[in-house]
Amino acid sequence: MPIVVNLDVMMAKRKMSLNELSSKVDLTLSNLSILKTGKAKAIRFSTLEAICKALHCQPGDILEYQEAK
Amino acid sequence: MKTNTLQILRIVKVLSWIVFIGLCITAGAVAVSFAVSLFVNTAAAADLYQNLDLSDLYKFGIGHYIVIGSLIILLTILKAVIFYLVIRIFKNLNINKPFSFEIAMLTRIISYVAFAAGLLAMAANGYTEWLIGQGVSMQKDWAGTEWLFLAGIIFIVAIIFTRGVELQSENELTI
Repeated sequence: MPIVVNLDVMMAKRKMSLNELSSKVDLTLSNLSILKTGKAKAIRFSTLEAICKALHCQPGDILEYQEAK
Repeated sequence: MKTNTLQILRIVKVLSWIVFIGLCITAGAVAVSFAVSLFVNTAAAADLYQNLDLSDLYKFGIGHYIVIGSLIILLTILKAVIFYLVIRIFKNLNINKPFSFEIAMLTRIISYVAFAAGLLAMAANGYTEWLIGQGVSMQKDWAGTEWLFLAGIIFIVAIIFTRGVELQSENELTI
């Protein structure tokens, strides 16, 4: 998929673990893992909002469009 | 409403088992009486199973008799296979998550088996008509078009089911 999720990059920048983010955004570890590994098919605005709030970033910092090769 | 659906599913599951066992018994009975008519007593051809009289065909030619007998057994086995697949659907069915790839695949296989049975029945129908044209007295309704109609309906249901599975998987992967 040409949409890349850079959640791991932002988490590393903010020095936040998956467990910590999971408790802050109220998402299960498995769901966060699906998002982090790029297996997710869609993301709700409410989830994106919670992640941006927890990581102090913009949606564009988490989602990136890359041309399909 | 949910309880009602569960009850219907339970009843259909029991009915499928009954029909499957019945079809296995029918296939076995026809195969045995067919073998008896071939190797032990030719009089058995007059009443193969539930008044199925192929004695005239036996007199016309043993080769034709073997072909028609084999077609009857094969179609009964295919019917049993369809109900075996229905039983497997019930075995794999999770009522809380009914849309799974296994069930979609089984539904599609049922449509293929029904289509094969339909083609076989159509061929058998043509063959029977030819035999009747040759002066053989026999009555056998193969219901070929009904099988093909059934196969088409099940195939459409299978395709819609597959789309349902895709949507469920997409929904599960929405975070």
